Amino acid sequence: MRTATTRGRQRSFGRLLVALLAVFALVAAACSSDDDSDEAAPASTAAADSGSDAGDDMDDGDMADDDMADDDMADDSGDMDDDMADDDMAAAACNHGQNVGGTLIIGSTQVPRHLNGTVQSGYATAVPGTQLNASPLLYDAEYNPMPYLAHDWDVADDGLSVTLHLVEDAVFHDGMPITSADVAFSIQTVQAHHPFKTMYAPVTNVDTPDDHTAVINLSQPHPAILLAMSPGLLPIIPKHIFDDGQEMPTHPRNSEDFVGSGPFRLTEYEPGTIIRMERFEDFFIEGTPCLDEIVMEITPESTAIVLGLENGTTHLSSTLGPSANVLRLMDNPDVEVSAKGHEAIGQINWLEMNVNDPALSDKRVRQAIAYAIDRDFLSEVIDQGITFPVPTGIAAASPFHNPNVNHYDKDIDRAKALLAEAGYGPGELQLSIDYIPPAFVVQAEYVQQQLEEAGIEVELSVSPDFPTWAQRVATGEYQMTINQVWNWGDPVIGVHRTYLCDNRVGVIWTNNTGYCNPDVDALLNAAGQEFDITERARLYAEFQEIVAEDMPIFFLNTPSFWQAYNPAVMNPPTNNIWGQMSPMHEVWLDE
Amino acid sequence: MSDAMGRGEVAAADLPVAPGLVAGGEGGSGRPGRETLRLFVRNKAAVAGVVMLIGIAFMTVAGPRIYDNDPKDIVAIPLTGPGELAEARLGTDYLGRDVLAGVIGGGTTSMTVAAMAAAMVLVIGISIGALAGYYGGWLDSALMRFTEFFQVLPALLFAMVLVALFEPSMWTISFAIGVVAWPGIARITRAEFLRLKNLEFVRAARAVGATDWRIIRKVVFPNALPPLIVSATLIMGTAILFEAGLAFLGLGDPNTTSWGLMIGLNRGNFLTAWWSVTFPGLAIFFTVLSFSLIGDGLQDAYNPKLRGR
Repeated sequence: MRTATTRGRQRSFGRLLVALLAVFALVAAACSSDDDSDEAAPASTAAADSGSDAGDDMDDGDMADDDMADDDMADDSGDMDDDMADDDMAAAACNHGQNVGGTLIIGSTQVPRHLNGTVQSGYATAVPGTQLNASPLLYDAEYNPMPYLAHDWDVADDGLSVTLHLVEDAVFHDGMPITSADVAFSIQTVQAHHPFKTMYAPVTNVDTPDDHTAVINLSQPHPAILLAMSPGLLPIIPKHIFDDGQEMPTHPRNSEDFVGSGPFRLTEYEPGTIIRMERFEDFFIEGTPCLDEIVMEITPESTAIVLGLENGTTHLSSTLGPSANVLRLMDNPDVEVSAKGHEAIGQINWLEMNVNDPALSDKRVRQAIAYAIDRDFLSEVIDQGITFPVPTGIAAASPFHNPNVNHYDKDIDRAKALLAEAGYGPGELQLSIDYIPPAFVVQAEYVQQQLEEAGIEVELSVSPDFPTWAQRVATGEYQMTINQVWNWGDPVIGVHRTYLCDNRVGVIWTNNTGYCNPDVDALLNAAGQEFDITERARLYAEFQEIVAEDMPIFFLNTPSFWQAYNPAVMNPPTNNIWGQMSPMHEVWLDE
Repeated sequence: MSDAMGRGEVAAADLPVAPGLVAGGEGGSGRPGRETLRLFVRNKAAVAGVVMLIGIAFMTVAGPRIYDNDPKDIVAIPLTGPGELAEARLGTDYLGRDVLAGVIGGGTTSMTVAAMAAAMVLVIGISIGALAGYYGGWLDSALMRFTEFFQVLPALLFAMVLVALFEPSMWTISFAIGVVAWPGIARITRAEFLRLKNLEFVRAARAVGATDWRIIRKVVFPNALPPLIVSATLIMGTAILFEAGLAFLGLGDPNTTSWGLMIGLNRGNFLTAWWSVTFPGLAIFFTVLSFSLIGDGLQDAYNPKLRGR
């Protein structure tokens, strides 16, 4: 009797043990799993400005953490001059059939959730997605829209509608014609499901007067809509497949039996392993695509990609891992490395300050911090030239970038004087920097060291994982943080969200500083509705000057998306602002 | 009240504790302390360990006063090699910080964390082991199941979870190491208590009416000390490795330089700047080695079989 009881007790004890162990194992796994990047870097912008998809954002962000690390490291100090020369040489098209052929092997660490870019943001989906689906417009290296599915387009004089004239012989991979109804359906899908709500928010409806004309009606002038019709942001998907009442984000055809509109069609898709895409014979641009096949080999290890590039088994990659890899490839004469392409992404590393913090609410303190940091030293010496200093929140390649704002060149005396004016003697001001390692260790440590030189004591505060950090920053429970935010082409998509007073919605990558300046709001709202590019640039220039003066954010640098490729790759995707998030129908292999 | 007083008086007057037992284990030699020392000194490796440890202790205590570079200051161009600059003899790391200053300053953190963790391990381990071993029965079963629970958890993973739950700081790291590393000590203590509790002198103490608390403290515990001292020494080494492992994985206190943190932060540059990883690595190596050697020497010194040889 007694033994039985004891045994029973032991058994339940054992069960308890097993349960507890399982819990610990789960926790441990969760903690160590930020490595299996599920979605690419671009996730970092998912926030846009709706608080409604917080879950989604977090999800994206989870990976962004990873991405940040990658991007941030994946830069090298490319010799820009060399790269340009190379690009000129490679500029020849594929001679319409003469050099057709070859299989392009792309190495990537980015695992897409699925391949339908209308409902999924991010680099991981966009790279294969833009090969599989065409979009109304393409973009060249200078932010100029180019004809693609739309051979022509006009903006109404009042700016309240955009008319697309579609090419007439375009067909989907199943042979059905691509019509204005598909365009309308794709826009509605993006409007409803894509995390970047600002892209199509002003769209009231899309008229389809005939099969090859789509009229997008707007509630207000919305110039950003032209960039929002880029390959990665508005893939045209077949209405006859997807309009079946099923939920779009989880639609089975997002990854199976994929029917697309782009230059390549899907032949094999093993999530997390391989994406094989074959040339689509009936693609609407005559003589393209040049390649027979694109194979994306997905591996969690950037080292494997580097080795593949070195021994010629991988032709192209933009996910090169830590800076040491990029520097190593730059030393290799058999591999080309370029910082070009992907300019529209416009990632910027910055030091974000919580302007609601008692100490940081004083503009002079924030300016003192700016004067204490030397962003050129950070990029050129510490990052060994693989990041590029940027003084404003609009990336340097953007037509709206204003290089003439106050750069706050390092001036410790001035920093100390400003602190003294604000009432802080040396050592009297204590601040903390929140960050997530390993992505932002270098920036955080460097800023700490520089601020201490100016007499500010800085404590580094490490968040164990992305959600913890995102929560603290989004809810304003921080003093300073190192962050990376992406421009996403048009300021309306990726820039406005950080500054607008009413976009303080408690989600990461929205207005997390608490900064609010009615003049800035007015300028952004005016610029967001201004189709005239000169006037728009003027408005943004003024906006950047005000932000530089108010200093809610000290901009550090742009960690470029370094691409490495085999010299045999002709027309590599370094020649457009979206890089690999753009169709590679003119890429070919000179082997 | 008077009862308790009475028992106390008896216990205080007649407790049969031989002073020799306390210092020298059960050897029974006339001067156990000196015998222990003789055996320890005979182990040359252990003496080398002591010398090394004294050197390291001197470096971490007096070093920052003699060599006053702040380990966090950027003193020169990043990634300059050792010997190239007078202001950074062992080279600089990726931020341009002095590696030598880091090795000296990092020692303080590593040693402090190790000492705090070891103290915590001893307190938890000895308390639980002593209670389990002395009382036995259901208390023993419960405490040992509890100990086994901690023993089967992968120690480093568990420590990572704990540090990640709180903010990484010297306190939380010491706490985490302490929490995961005590089962070994608990089991050794329990084994010793099980062995000792039925020996005659313990029974004698009980017979004269000493309280359990007093017997545990004054009679059994001193005799269980030798193996615990050896383990405690080894735990110092383990704790330093743990701290280094956590810091390497990015769970170090970012505000205090430690050897593990230096290795973790610089490992990306290992191929191009070996010095930023190698020197803190050597520091960990020699510290842990010295603790190991001393532990070995102590084990020899307390081993009754070696006595009198």
